[in-house]
Amino acid sequence: MSEEEFNEIQPLQDIYEDEEDADYQKYIRNFSIIAHIDHGKSTLADRLIENTGLVAHRDMKEQLLDNMDLERERGITIKLQTTRLVYKANDGHEYIFNLIDTPGHVDFNYEVSRSLAACEGAILVVDATQGVEAQTIGNVYLALDENLEILPCLNKMDLASARAQETREEIEDVIGLDASEAPEISAKTGMGIPDLLEAIVHTIPAPSGDPDGKLKALIFDSKYDNYKGVVIFIRVFDGYVRVGDTIRLMATQKDYEVTEVGVMAPNHRPAKYLRAGDVGYVCAAIKRVADARVGDTVTLADQPAAEPLPGYKQVKPMVYCGIYPAEGEKYEPVKDALEKLQVNDAAFHFEPETSAALGFGFRCGFLGLLHMEVIIERLEREFNLSVVTTSPSVVYKVVMTDGTEEMIQNPSNLPDPSEMDHIEEPITKAEIIVPKDYVGSIMDLCQKRRGVMQSMEYLTPDRVELHYELPLNEVIYDFFDALKSKTRGYGSIDYEFVRYQKSNLVKLDILLTKEMVDAFSMIVHESEAYERGRFVCKKLKEIIPMHQFEVPIQAAIGQKVIARETVRAYRKDVIAKCYGGDISRKKKLLEKQKAGKKRMSKFGKVDVPQEAFTAVLKYDEDKK
Amino acid sequence: MDKLGVYVHIPFCVRRCNYCGFYSNSIVDTGFSGAKSSQPLPTLSPDAEEAYIDGIVRKLAMYGRHNKKPVKVDTVYFGGGTPSLIRPDSAERVLAAIDDSFGLDDDPEISMESNPGTIDRAKLTAFRKAGVNRLSIGVQSFDNDVLKLIGRIHDADQAEEAYMSAREAGFDNVSLDLMFGIPDQTFSQWEETLNRAMDLKPDHISFYSLQIEENTPFYSEYKEGLISLPDVKLDRRMYHYACDLMREKGFHHYEISSAAKPGYECRHNIKYWTFADYLGVGASASSFIDGARWTEKPGDVFADSDKWQAEQGEEYHVNDFLDNVGEYAFTALRMDRGIDKDDFEARFGRKFWDVYSEVKPELAGYFDDGLLTEDDRFLRLTEAGIDVSNEIMAEFV
Repeated sequence: MSEEEFNEIQPLQDIYEDEEDADYQKYIRNFSIIAHIDHGKSTLADRLIENTGLVAHRDMKEQLLDNMDLERERGITIKLQTTRLVYKANDGHEYIFNLIDTPGHVDFNYEVSRSLAACEGAILVVDATQGVEAQTIGNVYLALDENLEILPCLNKMDLASARAQETREEIEDVIGLDASEAPEISAKTGMGIPDLLEAIVHTIPAPSGDPDGKLKALIFDSKYDNYKGVVIFIRVFDGYVRVGDTIRLMATQKDYEVTEVGVMAPNHRPAKYLRAGDVGYVCAAIKRVADARVGDTVTLADQPAAEPLPGYKQVKPMVYCGIYPAEGEKYEPVKDALEKLQVNDAAFHFEPETSAALGFGFRCGFLGLLHMEVIIERLEREFNLSVVTTSPSVVYKVVMTDGTEEMIQNPSNLPDPSEMDHIEEPITKAEIIVPKDYVGSIMDLCQKRRGVMQSMEYLTPDRVELHYELPLNEVIYDFFDALKSKTRGYGSIDYEFVRYQKSNLVKLDILLTKEMVDAFSMIVHESEAYERGRFVCKKLKEIIPMHQFEVPIQAAIGQKVIARETVRAYRKDVIAKCYGGDISRKKKLLEKQKAGKKRMSKFGKVDVPQEAFTAVLKYDEDKK
Repeated sequence: MDKLGVYVHIPFCVRRCNYCGFYSNSIVDTGFSGAKSSQPLPTLSPDAEEAYIDGIVRKLAMYGRHNKKPVKVDTVYFGGGTPSLIRPDSAERVLAAIDDSFGLDDDPEISMESNPGTIDRAKLTAFRKAGVNRLSIGVQSFDNDVLKLIGRIHDADQAEEAYMSAREAGFDNVSLDLMFGIPDQTFSQWEETLNRAMDLKPDHISFYSLQIEENTPFYSEYKEGLISLPDVKLDRRMYHYACDLMREKGFHHYEISSAAKPGYECRHNIKYWTFADYLGVGASASSFIDGARWTEKPGDVFADSDKWQAEQGEEYHVNDFLDNVGEYAFTALRMDRGIDKDDFEARFGRKFWDVYSEVKPELAGYFDDGLLTEDDRFLRLTEAGIDVSNEIMAEFV
């Protein structure tokens, strides 16, 4: 159903007509759903929407709020969504529920914290077959930081393996929340949803801002709309915002005139104003998403609030990689696509860069590896582009001999060793929860990843929480996968950046026929360099096809070669046999040769399949 | 009336050779343990052969029904695999089906590839009687060490015997397939093989440089370093030695890897290089008819379908202008006469160098180095140009 159709079918019942009653905030509930990944957050959101009659059942798609195909497929929420529901409670009153669905991945923790700051309460969904997990705890702490009332509920109660009593105890023991009243639900079947809706009314506090105060509203999300420009999503704490107002964004100190306000029900529905306690959207001719930063405070230009809301910070990319147009792909379409993605994603950065191996491309910054994968997949799917990505890298701090500091996002930009005093790398604090039988193997894993254990505690007799400090670059490369495979899927991790720390790091270069291929360069810990170098050489030997000449593959630190493999020569330049008339096959060979010739000039003379750039990253898969 | 070539793929072998990337299944009937002249010939299991030939016959009938314009089949080529594994009556059935479905031309060329380990005089006589009139014998080498290394089921003497039997059986058009650039092969081994072949006075020679194909035993062995290939220089020396010898013996080196006594050029294979129509039937056989190309999937032959390939989608590709000119150009470059620019213009309505105006500057170096040569009508590779033929052909696709 399109937005227009929706508005036609359900004419704008203007909830703001008779709002003279001073009590209006009593009937608003602003809340999020928090959960560990896969515990059923988005499915629950669907059920709430369905049970409040906002969207007819026939129009329900699975996980309505996950807009992107990618989100539905991966079963994770990447971009947060918000929607306004009307619920008729058992007390006879209609309540407005503003549900803010938060991203379900640690990469997006800041966005989660800002969405939570827009709420008075949160539904904590715990999968009763799994119990409390690392991100459950991480998210609860985020919610408690924002002083939210937390309403726990036990999900997946339709499954035979659900352990209601144990899960209640875990919630009480591990998180310290009273879970005795926690509704037992199944987001999948709809079981227990009416009870949960009532519990929302009774447990989650109503907002209590001052409608007569100076406007103070929190931006918790923004997106770009082709027709409206940047749409910002706000929670109004105090005051009113109306069409025609000139608003000021307090962090950027820029003023804009409001062209539209409204609520998400679930699409844009214009209203006359938003006021204290409301959640809704504002359009104000803002051109770039980056100008409306998540966490910023909206106030009125002529009557500004004295202080912005607390908690704003500028998100910085944690992980960088190069994105290059693949063979046969042009530069401009990739640039256009990246610009379009950036318009909708303030956390994603990119700038042009060139690589001797891959030509013109972009250095791109992401919140984490998942964020990176999502952007790359979107380039491929939504824009139908084929790109080559280089090894992801964290941002290193290089302290030069003269005391100045440089932040390095691209291993090939590392200064000459003689100019560097030392290199520092980002360190994270990680909480890992595992069943006690796996503690040994996870401690092994962390040790291999240069982790330093801080402490360990038993959450329950069977579940252990390990506290580690781990270098970020060890976490971003498939640590999550390794954790899952070593714990049969039961382990979970939550981590955050804590500081930069001096470390013994070296730049590992890869040379093909004695020429360095910059796109393969990576920064690794010295203790790992030999093994990593051998791995990359071996992997490239498997992938690089045989040529008419030998291709030596070398891994080197500076001038010192630490590993070597050789791809033998074989190709002949006459396809001599006639293939029973299979001209198509012969033609393909020629086309490949022609394309190879073009690319070969770029890589010196060596034809490097693009899969090589990602294959060399799959280190741990092979290490097992 | 239009002419049509028919290729029939027989995807069965006694054993797969170490270099071969063609579609084939190893099928041996009971008790065969390497062909020796004292042993009975290997045969296919009668059920498998029956089912497969039934499929071929059904396919031919189907194509015949869908065919709209009158054609005559003037060449048939049994390729493989090892076509000589089938029974002569199977070949006869296929030829009858071709005649029923399309009509055989007067004096058609009917070729069959054969493996020396699968034929004797009696069987060859029967094939000859069935209508096969051109025999190509997969000799590959007259050096037993080389034969063993590449995984052939026969030895040098058997190959020679097979040739003699073919003559005795009445084949007056016999071709020998030879291979060079084989792992560890020396120049003198090649020289000897080639001379021994010429001494037999065949009518036609196919000589090709061994190609390491993916998904063959050689590919992995070579990449692992277990076998080594003659270097490019030696490989080319072997090739040019063959060219010189053929010329000396009065052979017409009409296509990169084929030479024949005048009048014995393979009419079927020439169709591939001159943009002529051909129909391929059998597992993974390729066709080119009315500007469309398709390759059958291995199992297609067993499918009881009455659908013309066009209705089956996927593998069916209708050439556009660029496909056509590209294919025309690179296939024609394989022939000694090269690209016929007049014929090109007559077919495609545009002058050759107008279509390839952007390519021409790229080719300047090849002309300067004497690798390409051109006159008013033809553009062709020189013998030296053949060494870099792929590179030059790639410019046109």
